[in-house]
Amino acid sequence: MATLTIDGIEVTVEAGATVLQACEQAGAEIPRFCYHERLSIAGNCRMCLVELEKAPKPIASCAMPAGDGMVVHTKTETVKKAREGVMEFLLINHPLDCPICDQGGECDLQDQAVGYGRGLSRYDEGKRAVKDKNMGPLISTTMTRCIHCMRCVRFATEVAGADELGALGRGEGSEVTTYLEGSLNSEMSGNVIDLCPVGALTSKPYAFTARSWELKKTETIDVMDAVGSNIRVDSRGNQIMRILPRLNEGINEEWISDKTRFHYDGLLKNRLDTAFVKSSGKNAKLKPASWQDAFKAIKKAAKGVKADAYGALIGDLADVEAMFALKTLLGQLGSKSIECRLDGSTGQTSARSSYIFNTSIGGIEHADACLLVGCNPREEATLINSRLRKRVRVGGFAIANVGPKADLGYPVEELGNDFNHLAQVTVGTHKFAKALKAAKNPMVIIGQGALKGKNGAGVMASCLELAEKYGMVSEDWNGLNVLQHAASRVGALDMGLMAGGVDKVLGDKTEIVFLLGADDVDADKLKGKFVIYMGSHGDAGASLADVILPTAAYTEKQATYVNVEGRVQRTVQATFPPGEAREDWTVVRALADVFGVDVGFNNMGELRAKLYEAYPHFADEDVLDGHDTKGFATKTVMKMGKVTSIAAEFAGGYYMSNPIARSSNILAEVVANIAEQQGSKAHG
Amino acid sequence: MFKFIKRIFIWWEVSTLGTQWHTFLHGEKVGSDDEGNLYYKGKKKAPLSAGMPERRWVVYNGDMDATRIPAEWHAWLHHTSDLPPSEAPLETKAFETPHETNKTGSKEAYFPAGSPMSGGKRASATGDYEAWRP
Repeated sequence: MATLTIDGIEVTVEAGATVLQACEQAGAEIPRFCYHERLSIAGNCRMCLVELEKAPKPIASCAMPAGDGMVVHTKTETVKKAREGVMEFLLINHPLDCPICDQGGECDLQDQAVGYGRGLSRYDEGKRAVKDKNMGPLISTTMTRCIHCMRCVRFATEVAGADELGALGRGEGSEVTTYLEGSLNSEMSGNVIDLCPVGALTSKPYAFTARSWELKKTETIDVMDAVGSNIRVDSRGNQIMRILPRLNEGINEEWISDKTRFHYDGLLKNRLDTAFVKSSGKNAKLKPASWQDAFKAIKKAAKGVKADAYGALIGDLADVEAMFALKTLLGQLGSKSIECRLDGSTGQTSARSSYIFNTSIGGIEHADACLLVGCNPREEATLINSRLRKRVRVGGFAIANVGPKADLGYPVEELGNDFNHLAQVTVGTHKFAKALKAAKNPMVIIGQGALKGKNGAGVMASCLELAEKYGMVSEDWNGLNVLQHAASRVGALDMGLMAGGVDKVLGDKTEIVFLLGADDVDADKLKGKFVIYMGSHGDAGASLADVILPTAAYTEKQATYVNVEGRVQRTVQATFPPGEAREDWTVVRALADVFGVDVGFNNMGELRAKLYEAYPHFADEDVLDGHDTKGFATKTVMKMGKVTSIAAEFAGGYYMSNPIARSSNILAEVVANIAEQQGSKAHG
Repeated sequence: MFKFIKRIFIWWEVSTLGTQWHTFLHGEKVGSDDEGNLYYKGKKKAPLSAGMPERRWVVYNGDMDATRIPAEWHAWLHHTSDLPPSEAPLETKAFETPHETNKTGSKEAYFPAGSPMSGGKRASATGDYEAWRP
């Protein structure tokens, strides 16, 4: 603890705080470029100079530890002059191209030049020019604008774990570069766009498309993975121009993954904007139809269909309201055959804590040992991986992986792609068992890959035993984590949308199948059934359908999603669905009339009231359930094959995991770029 | 007969009989342009003291459309230049294009790219989406 006097105000700060943090606490605004809360301190921009009594010259407040009894002045003539001087030096080599710069309007340098710079320029010599660097398809560079704050370099090294950015040259010749003129090998690379205080690094897909002040900002959440990153969607008219992160310390801090940031162009491609009905006859073809015609076709198909002949599959992007509405509809029709686990995962679902990320994402920072079982957090939940990396960097964190080898961006002890290692750790004969035993807060993360197929139940049982044995579940700590990677999954499991697997739902007696945005379905299994597809994008599922009912994408509706930690979050509507598309639950409500049943709600209010009645926790927004440990005393005899490979592969590849991402040209370019870089590495 | 009555009263298709009579009596031909429009001036010089300028007029060869008059004859008709272009032709610059009549309202009217009248294919704009078709 240190007590300082800042501009006559006395503040007490924690030990290890800097003078800049103390100034902020005292309410004094300090301009800065290189300093960033989540990165290490560099102290190279000198913009944060303040006057410290008894110091011979102004000090860089971001790099000066706060000491007891310091007397700091931030509003004196000396400080003003120092800031003006620093700003003048920064502007010497900064081009005056604000009118054609994408950062214009949201530029730190612009703002601070107005606030702390001199009114006039005294500089009339030539400015230096720097060659632009190639940083891949996502980041556009104008290196002449760079002021060498090194935020991007520090981010790449510290947070992204891609040590591929750095500075070459000295003094005026200094340049930030990727050395080899390639894109960053990271799923977090887009964050350097936000970090860059000037327009040196800007978004390539967004380049010259909009100005920040003409955009409508909508604060919503992301559904690209189950993390539920908090995002801000910037739209102009009915088009989403870009996606930015929003601060949420519990989930994504202030980062988002590239998939989250750059999938937005997929929201305008391959859209279902009208209903379709498959024509009858030999060359049956999907033809655009009106809603009435689509409903007529469904009514015709439903004639004489028995109650248990209805089935439904839930896709990865479905929202809670739509799933609840569909469940209610099926319930009214007399069927319980509704399934959300399209990937064939067979995890235990008796208690909520056996399918969510109990430790919570923020809780990772308190863990001191971690075992990854058949998961690749870098691909399945990028933001969870960056938390793990953050924890690894602090030190004293034993982390091991049972499953396929993966480059996670930090050193991981690879135990091998074999369940037997897990069994050994559980029994206590493996060497990693020691680390788990010594740990105060050990955790295990079970991926969906490990829970797939025959061995799923065995893996889960083994992990439950492991959790019990190493004290992973106690009053104030829960180290058992299941890593879901579908945004809809936790919500669906909360509502018990399980019917014994996809094969059971698509059994012989099923005649009518609802696909709620479900695209990863085997076409052969749908043969001979009447398929009703409800979704926003024309993808695999849509082409298999007999009737397509167009619905809204996640940015076009107010909906509830539950993230991997079991945190209930809601999206906010940013744009309107295209053409004839409607919100999912309204489509289900209309279907209820077609089938002649009563689902008991006519508007969102009534639907949500029914939902909260059935599942009260959906009413509690942004709350973690706490460490619910019930249902953990499961003792299953482990029955596992001798050598079994754990497949934690992401279906279709990381960047192509859902219909929106598959429709995105930007992400397709990223995939092509990665393939090209890997090719050149292999040949060169 | 109808044609004759038309010649007397209708002035917007061809010049009326009155104009022709007046031109015959008082007009002095000055010249003609590429389209065949004839330009006349009054034979009698109006007394300067009355402040009346010389009378100048055009008899159209076909459609009565003021935009058919080329710039140089327009200037003479409106007393911008003293001498008609037949006597003092205007210098033609390399960048000048031949005179065109106003096409507004006609089939040859200009429609910007993207207008339904010119095919209706416009560049993509904010909010445009690509619809999926099987």
